[in-house]
Formats: sequence, structure tokens, C-alpha cells
Amino acid sequence: MDAVFRVLLYLYPQRHRELLGAEMQAVFEQGAQEHRLLGPSQYLRFVLLELGGLVLHAAIAQFANATHRGYLENQVHGTLAPPQDLPDEVIEAQNRLAVNINQLSFAISHHQFVQARFYKNEERKARENLRQMREKYGIGDPQPLP
Amino acid sequence: MRHVAQRPAIKHHKPLTEPVLLILMSLAAQPRHGYALIKDIEVLSRRRVRLSTGTLYGALRRLLDEGWIERFEQEDTSRDKQAYRLTSEGRRQLELELDRFRELSRAGFARLRLDEA
Repeated sequence: MDAVFRVLLYLYPQRHRELLGAEMQAVFEQGAQEHRLLGPSQYLRFVLLELGGLVLHAAIAQFANATHRGYLENQVHGTLAPPQDLPDEVIEAQNRLAVNINQLSFAISHHQFVQARFYKNEERKARENLRQMREKYGIGDPQPLP
Repeated sequence: MRHVAQRPAIKHHKPLTEPVLLILMSLAAQPRHGYALIKDIEVLSRRRVRLSTGTLYGALRRLLDEGWIERFEQEDTSRDKQAYRLTSEGRRQLELELDRFRELSRAGFARLRLDEA
């Protein structure tokens, strides 16, 4: 059943699979192990719910990916290398920075200046973290960050 | 100088889905990895909710995207067992949601008392 789960993971968008696929597989295997001990009916119920849930959420993720493309990816798109070429830590650092920029813009546009000051600090930290990650992996930064 | 009226933050707050609320509540106590979250949510919901892997990671992905939680490496875990913890924004959103519930239940009980009187 682990193999079936692994194959069904391919229904997810590539980004999601790269980021969370290994963890999802490990969680499923742990759950399957536990339910196997509870008897065949419990195990069958578990497998059906898991596989059904996986297909449903893969469809939701694909739909979100096709229509939204993730505002994080939009934020960094065009200014940084394609995410699939970068280590997870760098992608996460980029995402963190994009989130902070987004929250900062939201706070400013809603006149929430206390929050804006907080997100400005967070953005500075995220920018520094991204710089360190890029340094760690020896990735150059030929274009300006957003 | 332009006067800007401060609106209560709760007005900007969208209600959370149950899986998201339960995940935030679980992570409020301590950081956890995926399977530990599923088990803790079973306990939190008194065995009413058992999240499937797809539901859990769909919600985790959204929360990561929103910056409400973050992944970090625990020394004793492997790459396929990354742990998650609340960010300050995640904690704020959880507090807003719990405030919303408090207000709702207060209003609900007030109506019940009115009906009984």
C-alpha cells in the first residue's frame, strides 16, 4: 500500500511534492503500521480514507496551483532562480521573505503602522536569512531581491 | 494630520476551518512533526477528528504559505520528520479566532438566558 501512496503523490504539483512528499509518505506509513495492528476492517477503513483524502487534496492543490500559483511564487517569480533548482532551505527563506513583504504591504495599506513596523523588522531578518542561505549553498544573487 | 480610526483587528479576521484551528491549537502548546500533530488532534478533539495525511499537509502547506507556522530541524529527527512551530503571526491569528469563539458563545448564552427568563 505504501507504493500506491507513493504513486498517488505524483498527483500533487511538483513543488508540493518536493517540499512535503517525503514527510507525507512517512506519516502515512506510520499510520498504516498502527492501523494494521487494529485488525483488517480498521486497516481497510484507514487506507480508503487516506487514499481518498490524498486524491481529493491533490486535486485541490492542482486547482490552487493552476488558478493562484501561490502568491509566494508570484512574489519571487522573475527575480530569483526557478524554485525547483534551489535547495529547500533557500526556497523556504524566499517564501518567508515574500510573506513578510506581503504582510508589510497589507499593514501599510490598512494603516496598521504598529504591525507595519513589526513586519519591517521581520522582513529585515528574513532578508538576512535568505542572504545567509544563498551564501551557504554558494548561490549568487545576480538580480536585486524583491 | 489625518485621523485614522482604529478598527478592532477582529473585523479583518476570517473564520478558520476546523483542521487549521486544531493544528494551530496543537502547535500552540509545543512544536510537533506531522504524525504527532495527527495524534494530538485526535486527543484535542476527543477522538472526533482524525486528519488524513492529505488534509493535514494541505493545511500545513497553506499555513506555511501564510507564514503562520514554520518548519525547523530538530536534532533528533530525520529530513522526513521536520517539525513545525507557530510563528508570532500564527499565534496572533489563533488568539483572534479564540476571541471570536468567546464572543459568539457569550452572545449565545445571553440569548439562552433571555429565552429562559
